[in-house]
Amino acid sequence: MKKNYTQASRRRDRLAELLIRICGLFVIVAVVWILVMITRVALPLFYSPKATSIASISLPVELKQSRLLSIGIDETQQELFSLDGKGLVHFIDTRGGTLKESVPVPDPPPGARTVVSAELVSKSLYNLLWDTGVVSSVKIAFSSTRSESGNTIVSHEVSADPEGFFPGSGAFKRSFVRTIEGKGAVRVDQLESDRIRVTWRSKETDLFGNEKATTSSSEIQDPLPAAITAVVLDHAGHYLYAGTRNGQLMRWDISEPGEIRLLDSTAVTGNSPVTALNLVLGDISVAVGDGKGGYTAWFPVTAAGSGEGKQLVRTHVLRPHTGTVSAILPSPRDKSLVSVNDQGVIHIDHVTSERNLLTLKGAKPVAMLALSAQGNSLCSLDTAGNFAVWRLEIPHPEVSLGTLFGKVWYEGYDRPEYVWQSSAANDDFEPKMSLVPLIFGTLKATAFAMLFAVPLALLGALYTSQFMAPRLKSRIKPAVEIMAAIPSVVVGFLAGLWLAPLIDKVVLAFFLSFIIIPVMLLVTIFFWRLIKTASPLERRLRGKEFIVLIPIVLVGTWLAYLLGGIVEVQVFGGDFKQWLYSVLGIRYDQRNSMIIAVALGFAVIPLIFTIAEDALSNVPRNLTAASLALGASRWQTAWRVVLPSALPGVFSAVMIGFGRAVGETMIVLMATGNTPIMSGSIFNGLRSLSANIAVEIPEASLNGSLYRVLFLSAVLLFIFTFIINTVAEALRQRFRRKYGRY
Amino acid sequence: MTVPTHNPASPILTVKDLDLFYGAKQALKKINISMQRNQVTAFIGPSGCGKSTLLRCFNRMNDLIDNVRVEGSISFEDQEIYAASTDVITLRRRIGMVFQQSNPFPKSIYENIVYGLRIAGVNDKSLLDETVERSLRSAAIWDEVKDRLHDSALGLSGGQAQRICIARAIAVNPEIILMDEPCSALDPISTLKIEELIDELKRKYTIIIVTHNMQQAARVSDVTGFFYLGELIEAGPTRKIFTNPEKTQTEDYITGRFG
Repeated sequence: MKKNYTQASRRRDRLAELLIRICGLFVIVAVVWILVMITRVALPLFYSPKATSIASISLPVELKQSRLLSIGIDETQQELFSLDGKGLVHFIDTRGGTLKESVPVPDPPPGARTVVSAELVSKSLYNLLWDTGVVSSVKIAFSSTRSESGNTIVSHEVSADPEGFFPGSGAFKRSFVRTIEGKGAVRVDQLESDRIRVTWRSKETDLFGNEKATTSSSEIQDPLPAAITAVVLDHAGHYLYAGTRNGQLMRWDISEPGEIRLLDSTAVTGNSPVTALNLVLGDISVAVGDGKGGYTAWFPVTAAGSGEGKQLVRTHVLRPHTGTVSAILPSPRDKSLVSVNDQGVIHIDHVTSERNLLTLKGAKPVAMLALSAQGNSLCSLDTAGNFAVWRLEIPHPEVSLGTLFGKVWYEGYDRPEYVWQSSAANDDFEPKMSLVPLIFGTLKATAFAMLFAVPLALLGALYTSQFMAPRLKSRIKPAVEIMAAIPSVVVGFLAGLWLAPLIDKVVLAFFLSFIIIPVMLLVTIFFWRLIKTASPLERRLRGKEFIVLIPIVLVGTWLAYLLGGIVEVQVFGGDFKQWLYSVLGIRYDQRNSMIIAVALGFAVIPLIFTIAEDALSNVPRNLTAASLALGASRWQTAWRVVLPSALPGVFSAVMIGFGRAVGETMIVLMATGNTPIMSGSIFNGLRSLSANIAVEIPEASLNGSLYRVLFLSAVLLFIFTFIINTVAEALRQRFRRKYGRY
Repeated sequence: MTVPTHNPASPILTVKDLDLFYGAKQALKKINISMQRNQVTAFIGPSGCGKSTLLRCFNRMNDLIDNVRVEGSISFEDQEIYAASTDVITLRRRIGMVFQQSNPFPKSIYENIVYGLRIAGVNDKSLLDETVERSLRSAAIWDEVKDRLHDSALGLSGGQAQRICIARAIAVNPEIILMDEPCSALDPISTLKIEELIDELKRKYTIIIVTHNMQQAARVSDVTGFFYLGELIEAGPTRKIFTNPEKTQTEDYITGRFG
């Protein structure tokens, strides 16, 4: 009987131990699994881009004698085309290298026989300059459909675009035509003699619906420092750029018909000729390649000191080529550039991140380069007449450690900055994904919240554990613990929609209350000391002192409110926020860091309070007794014996509060304006890492850069809290060894 | 802190008709006893007889407990301990206490000893050093700890810790030391050391000790009081109590017939 009993209890013991082990293991596995899962989403950000060579074919025999002007490739690397000087578009199968079809450009201008040059204006739209001087537009588009058997079938279409038709006469080196929606078109011609002529054709419709077309023309009169070696015109037809043989980059404003204004003439390469020039997607940055392989990007920046004039400034330095940069081709999808040097080395770089994404090397110098409409395929034609086709896989060109954590000079900004702005309405937007403002916001919110919460929670815990009457304590402690159970969305809602407008009205009173209430408390304490220890009054009030303080705090608040109004009128001319802005230049946001401090503090206080109170209450009575028996007052005992003894526990409480504040999402989301700015001011809002994830994950496309960066910030948060907790535990162990057992 | 003049013959503590109630329950009933200067007085009696409660009345440690009511009088020299004008803090400096379980603070040995001085606002380094040595010597532990004064007091053995607590009580120079079963958690050798110490200390201090150990009471005390159910049954010179008690209850207890 007895033996059975021992065996059963031993068995039960073993079972319990096993169960506990399994559960503990499960927790560890779950946490590690979560970390692995979010890391797996974030990691592809840092994979190196890939280019797969799909085909390497030589020019079909039929085309050996043709003068080729341009090439193009479809998205699936199945078909490419070349445009020849006779106005024929030849479609070539990349797998066999056979000529599939030759299509003449539809509606050639009357009398025109050969094409002088072709310019890719935008995705699949080409402008052709004919020998008569006329420019016409043609669209050479690929489309692909998936057949029932799962194969992708590529079809092509060549169509004329009458919009781009612009008459002219004479012989030109190059011509650019840009149609301006509803207003006509502008044409820029580079004449044989290095002169540049701009022609505007404006179309006006009068009240009766009659169209009236006027044409005006003007030549650039500005003296050129040297021969022009490269010209580019933006898509809107507003700015004309030209590079010269001695390395000058010139920029003209031609947006007003009849007016040509020279905006810039900047030395960009250090005397080496500008050999390649093109605009990065979005038409803000211009990429410059020079004769020595230098490769830079520039955009107009408001010069420091000078009032309004914007000057071209070198904002990005890309990886230099080993020889003359012969061509630069912008990606149609992002701020990437494809460039090639005279030895046939192709670089793919991203302007914002300054990352060299890929370097491809052909055997022969490259004559022509083309990217597909989505930027997935790259095709080159070398001087020996061989096509090379690559499939590009560059999912996250804009992300690098530099853009995530460093200052980056974004388009339109006056200096390199930490910016988070992940998306905008337009496609040619430059995503700005610096995590620094978010980390800053997280730390700022946490710091202010802790500043507010820690003193209140710890002093409260000290009072509750050491001074409060046990009966009161048994009610107050659960009440505070219930505070912790309030859903953070409720706290955030109250903070954002009730507290923020309230404090907005009484900012000064809010500040004054931080002075007035403590002063009133000190005064009260002074009078309190007149009550003798163990006198009947003291005995009655012992452990309930705070009840006396409640009316004092209320009166203090009321006084602060009154005084706030007076001070605002007397000192700040009636409007503190206006004064703040006009005198100190500080902007006041309604949802600012004070609101966060109070709201987040409200969420953290019960946590810190409860754990700290437990730790303080666990200090054995005989320690307090020893202190009291030595003639210490209760306050001395609490401060010198109880608090140091409970320090490990109190420290844990603060760290757990800290961890909660770092990870808190809803309150920060609702109580701040979610402005990802780096401002230490207490009057400004912020955006934290966690709130950022909540705000942006719904609009992040699956597996896109933003999506992965958000996961990366989740990993960061994870690491953040992990480090905090580990350090906290290590410190706690140290305190424990040093100060005590409780 | 020192009392200007006193008659050596007059008692240092006089308890008169002391009643003590925990709420409605009476814990001490009409206690009358007086303690002489530089003597060791032992309180013996079974658990719950009120001897510790009485001890705690002398430095008003009972104040910490809710609904304690004290009636009657305890005078410390000429001063009424339970008078409204009594400053508890000063009182406790003059009447030190050593507890049943050694309770060193989680601080260094040095800081433990000087705690009483520090809270009184003494920060003079040489005075503190001097006090530490004097107190530790008085508590007969100086030689054991002099090389590790700045180590944590938590690393000491039970007997050492208890002597540190005695040294801590001595450091503030009290007149009376109350000892609440100071050896109950100690092994015989440590107990012996404490007992020798008590014998040493009574030259300078008046000691009141509560003990369960009758041999201990017999060994260390000059006067013994026997408590039973909140009443002081008998008090007198120790030798007399242990050899020739007046009350049968006392005799029964001492001979081990109950308790």
